[in-house]
Amino acid sequence: MKSFVGIFGCSAGFGFVIALVYWWVAHEETVGTVLLGVMTAALVFAAIYAVIGERSARLDGDEPDLTNADAAGEDLGVFTTSSPYPILIAAGAGLGLLGLLWSPLIGIAGLTVVVLCLWRMGAESSRV
Amino acid sequence: MIEWMTTTDHKKIGIMYMVATMTFFVIAGILAMLIRAQLARPENDFLSAHAYNQIFTLHGTAMIFFVIAPFGLGLANFLVPLQIGAPDVAYPRLNATAFWMFALAGIVVFSGFAMYGGAAATGWTAYAPLSEIAEGTGAGQDLWLLGLLLASVSTILTALNLIVTIFLFRAPGMTMWRIPIFEWEIVATAVLILMAFPSLTAVLAMLLIDRHLGGHFFDPAFGGNPILYQHLFWFFGHPEVYVMILPYFGIITEVVATFSRKPVFGYVGLVIAAFAIAGLSIGVWAHHMFTTGAVNNPFFSAVSFLIAVPTGVKFVNWIGTMWKGSIEFSTPMLFAVGFMLNFLIGGITGVMLASPPIDYDAHDSYFIVNHFHYTLAGGSMFALFAALYFWFPKMFGVRLNETLGKWCFALMFAGFNVTFIPMAFMGLEGMARRVYTYPNIAHLGLLNAIATGGSVILAIGVMVFFADVATSVFAAARRRVPVAANPWGGYSLEWATTSPPPEFNFEELPPIRSRRPVLDTVNS
Repeated sequence: MKSFVGIFGCSAGFGFVIALVYWWVAHEETVGTVLLGVMTAALVFAAIYAVIGERSARLDGDEPDLTNADAAGEDLGVFTTSSPYPILIAAGAGLGLLGLLWSPLIGIAGLTVVVLCLWRMGAESSRV
Repeated sequence: MIEWMTTTDHKKIGIMYMVATMTFFVIAGILAMLIRAQLARPENDFLSAHAYNQIFTLHGTAMIFFVIAPFGLGLANFLVPLQIGAPDVAYPRLNATAFWMFALAGIVVFSGFAMYGGAAATGWTAYAPLSEIAEGTGAGQDLWLLGLLLASVSTILTALNLIVTIFLFRAPGMTMWRIPIFEWEIVATAVLILMAFPSLTAVLAMLLIDRHLGGHFFDPAFGGNPILYQHLFWFFGHPEVYVMILPYFGIITEVVATFSRKPVFGYVGLVIAAFAIAGLSIGVWAHHMFTTGAVNNPFFSAVSFLIAVPTGVKFVNWIGTMWKGSIEFSTPMLFAVGFMLNFLIGGITGVMLASPPIDYDAHDSYFIVNHFHYTLAGGSMFALFAALYFWFPKMFGVRLNETLGKWCFALMFAGFNVTFIPMAFMGLEGMARRVYTYPNIAHLGLLNAIATGGSVILAIGVMVFFADVATSVFAAARRRVPVAANPWGGYSLEWATTSPPPEFNFEELPPIRSRRPVLDTVNS
């Protein structure tokens, strides 16, 4: 996870510097400072989460001398090969948005499809 | 059919992305030909002004949101797990959801053509307050907004998935400093998407609120601010340019190293350059707004100039990789060299436009059209074809015909340059972009006629590609001899498995002890 922290930490540092410089030279344009500031805050959040939450994570991919035999038995979880829910969720999301335009009923129907599919997908995950 | 609609296999989803993007590419290409037909001669009335506005709006929207950017992510879908030795992406069902949202988004946007009043007609930037006038723009504009909202959410989900996959699912021994450059470019792209796309989602939602829920974010008559729209849009819009180029830098690096028979020159420099480009691209958004007089031009000009430095580093590295290499000019390599030549022109005109005095003169002229087509069409699109020719055998187990491939490249390269070089001169002679007709003054009639002729050559080149696909697939079906696992002599991990790869990608992973694990295995 060192590389993850490094990339997000450096990006946050860069965002902070550029937000500071931008505020210094163009402080009358509040919107730019706010955009850069919020972006920096989000990057800091990701980096801090990785430092605190994933501190003890040990990844096979980070070990330069690890062999396939050494890593045998590692549990990567189960990868599904098919599921009917992704296409239904996408269709439901599309309907939900179209409901904004044409009818709240269409929107509610779309959101209902999304919620039901997410629920069933959760059940599908727990089965595998 | 059902199998493909319900699949969560990253390879099939990657292929579906590419089929979808190439379908949108054909539609966008037909729209481009209509644009060139209208502009072929002065004061032409082949299209009405409103039809022309719809066509150039959907051409730009399709190429940016439904071809160039998603093709890079679709290719990443196919390649990322293969190149890092993973069985799939981290979240296969999220991946499938993102693809279907993307496909649906494209259908929603293009369905605008079937609406009363037609499709969106306010340009791919949909500047407010023009795009806020519900009566003037109609349901087509609403569908454009909803489609792009879906596409932006889909892109964010894909970026998350790719970041998690690359960081957490690398095979034993595949450290971050051993992953192919394409993977690094995808990490930089995905981080950039996470930084920039929320701004697009926000501005589209605000526009919807203004249009339908009585908001006045961008309406100056009620205290709103149209400049705010431009800030929010370009805070996404300029990084989006790099979302459309960074994956293609990765493709070019892989192709150049493979066909030069050399390791990548300056691996670390390429990685740093990718992140420098991504970082700097966040700080240049208002160079699109120089002429508003409402932004700090020196700041945005300086940062825009700076981006040329890491981009130059990449060119040095590609040339360094080719230097004294045993170069083989197969079709992917030809497209890679074509990319470099075209992108160089786009890059240099970009540096010119980063200077506010030049931008004031060239803004909204055909010089701009020349500039961004040299970066995104001459650049990214050529890299897209390099990728198709390079990885087609891995995806489908079929190698495309080299002779047709070289004809495809020659016609596309010649056609592209004959189309777009005249546009620089049109811009210098004062021709404004997005106009549906123009007077017969200066050399505009001649220059436009040449550009239209070039576009026909370019279109023939693209048709040769599709003919190549059809004939090669047909010939392979008759021969029934599968293509080799590594037909080009590639070095990265995807070439260690069969073409096409099996479910979960690898029967057996080779040991990974360097950046070129496949060549290590061959040499040992």
